[in-house]
Amino acid sequence: MADPLTTRQAGVPGAPVRAPGPRRSGAPAAAGRSGPRRPRLSARTRRRWLPWTLLAPALAVIAVLLLLPLGRVVWLSVQDYGLDNVVSGRSDYIGLDNYARLLTDRYLWTVALPNTAVFALVAVVGTVVFGTLVALLLNTLSRIARTAVLGCVLIAWAMPAVSGTYVWIWIFDVDDGPVRRLLQAVGIVGPEGYNWFAERVTFYAVAALNVIHHGFPFVAVTVLAGLLTIPRELHEAALLDGAGAWQRFRNVTVPTIRPVFAVVTILSTIWDFKVFAQVYLMPGGSGGNRDVLNLGVWSYVRSFANQSYGLGSAIAVLLTLMLLAITVGYLRTIFRDEELR
Amino acid sequence: MARTCARRPRAAAAAAALALLAAACGGGGGDGEGQTLDVWIMEGTHPDATAYFDDIGERFREQTGAEVDVEFVPWADAHDKFTTAIAGNTMPDVAEVGTTWTTEFAGAGALADLSDHVGSTDAYVPGLTEAGTFDGGLYGVPWYAGVRAVIYRTDVFEDLGLEEPTTWEELRETAITVSEERDGMTAFPVPGDAVYQALPFVWGNGADIASSSDGRWSSGLDSAQAREGLSFYTGLALEDGVSSTGAGTWKETDLQDNFISGDVAMMIGGSWTPAAILEANPDLEGDIGAFPIPGPDGGYSPSFLGGSHLSVFNAAEDPDLAWSYVETVTNDDNARRWSEATTYFPGKRKQLEPYTASDDPLVRPFAEQMSEAGRGLPATENFGKVQGDMVLEAMLQDILNEEATVGEATARAAEEVEGILNEGS
Repeated sequence: MADPLTTRQAGVPGAPVRAPGPRRSGAPAAAGRSGPRRPRLSARTRRRWLPWTLLAPALAVIAVLLLLPLGRVVWLSVQDYGLDNVVSGRSDYIGLDNYARLLTDRYLWTVALPNTAVFALVAVVGTVVFGTLVALLLNTLSRIARTAVLGCVLIAWAMPAVSGTYVWIWIFDVDDGPVRRLLQAVGIVGPEGYNWFAERVTFYAVAALNVIHHGFPFVAVTVLAGLLTIPRELHEAALLDGAGAWQRFRNVTVPTIRPVFAVVTILSTIWDFKVFAQVYLMPGGSGGNRDVLNLGVWSYVRSFANQSYGLGSAIAVLLTLMLLAITVGYLRTIFRDEELR
Repeated sequence: MARTCARRPRAAAAAAALALLAAACGGGGGDGEGQTLDVWIMEGTHPDATAYFDDIGERFREQTGAEVDVEFVPWADAHDKFTTAIAGNTMPDVAEVGTTWTTEFAGAGALADLSDHVGSTDAYVPGLTEAGTFDGGLYGVPWYAGVRAVIYRTDVFEDLGLEEPTTWEELRETAITVSEERDGMTAFPVPGDAVYQALPFVWGNGADIASSSDGRWSSGLDSAQAREGLSFYTGLALEDGVSSTGAGTWKETDLQDNFISGDVAMMIGGSWTPAAILEANPDLEGDIGAFPIPGPDGGYSPSFLGGSHLSVFNAAEDPDLAWSYVETVTNDDNARRWSEATTYFPGKRKQLEPYTASDDPLVRPFAEQMSEAGRGLPATENFGKVQGDMVLEAMLQDILNEEATVGEATARAAEEVEGILNEGS
């Protein structure tokens, strides 16, 4: 990459571009230009500030889009904040009352948290396992077959979450959906049917299918990219040593692309913990069925339907802290110490 | 919350700059020249709402010079969208507000008091002005109203030799007959995610959702009458089998969709729905009728008298211009055209008269229900939270999904209603 700063200083088109060294950087300007000389920062200061200057636009964007809303949510979570506060602009600071109310609420421990955590566990394992299997399949296919399968996989990825959810709701329509007809035809479900949206476990089973279907293409494509970087010799050597397919996968593939698995697992965990649309849009998922809310939907319902913005924000903060803790935990166990640096 | 406050002057400054620019470039015309009114209208009421509002917008522009930008909002998302807009200060200038939300938004200080513009409210339907009144001020101008009654398939009733039921027991027997004789059809769905279908069975048996005395609210949902009514209603699904399993999580829109596709024989539906049903499925023309919701032993069961106000938001840049738009939409000519297309009843008394005297089989039963047994929700700004929290939906679904008995579910709902309504008092 040509360093823009060096190029500009050189001022001569086609002049050799060099990374600014501690001593050399000022020299081309002095040699190539006869205009008025501006005072220059010392080389060391410039070297120290150059990365930050280049990072500044990105950092500014992150600060505005990420840190500002985050700070605002934390600030809201220590207030008793309702619709009238929004309009009047008055705020009632109540310290950690929202958190106290939240943590002593049975609903958190018996419904929202288990729903969120168990669902995320199932969905992450499902997504990563299924995605990896698809990647292994793709890796063995010929070029044309791989392109064809990859194309189909990408369609699942490209489908917006909302449309995808409605398709799954239709497939599982309680009275008239294909699944109902199939189950009734083979005699598993009686003529009176069964409302899987009404029960927590079956509700989340449908949601998990939806989320895994939407999430596995990312894992498959990423893991496939990792698989393609594994030197062929490693597998050949293992094969000569008499290793079976499972042993080669466990002892060659997994250790070699461990960082890839770390990335897809962490990202899937984050996505599946904060899943919202796939739950909210399902029948009963927007609050009518109290047993099926997860932390994300609960936070939304508390904030916007019940207009307890403070309490809703506290739930959101709790969710963020949990994700942070899980991510750090993952990073620590999956990477060895030197890999972290 | 300095940010919201700071934003207003900035927005005002931008508006002023735009206005100056417009004046410099154009000049002349009405006093609304160069302005744009943002208007939110609920989606699905008028079969061809876009053309209707384009027409009104055109006339309004000729009259005042202001552009009107109408956005259509689905009912199901509207409450969230309003509260989000209030929170983010992205409110429209004028909006159609459901009559049950007006006091809530007024209580939050988001709406403008229109008393001075309206003057005497005698011209309007009384139930609707009550719902728009908060702290002595009028925050919603009655625009239109509707009421739910039973909509049914006349062809099915004729085939099976059935009469319109006049008591709850007859309603049950009729539904059972349809259910036995028509295999692919749901006789009378009991939707779990829809409250207005269930309320007639609470009110009809003489119970209340909540009533206030001495400033405290108490809920009648756990009374013997309410429990009896709800047992009857949910029993239609759980014992008599005249509903479907999936209906346990249906919203009102699911109910209507299934009626449109011809899978439902009877449903409690709004006076505005026959037009939409025929629009979506013209084959049903001549095959649908309506009757008022019967009382337990004859008479009527009250049904929710719902409708819409037009409100001006506090954030409106030019409140007078916004008010003149409200006047335009509710004038006699536009109200008549609106009612003809939507089969909603107009919000002014004089405009309502022709309907109570109508002999149209899809108008008279509703007009009868509206004049004889229309009912409002508890008039408190906190009732919006009961709705937002879906207390009644949760109660219904718990019963229909057999996670709680009628006794358990009503006790919990009553406790929650009282908790929310008495909050902060």
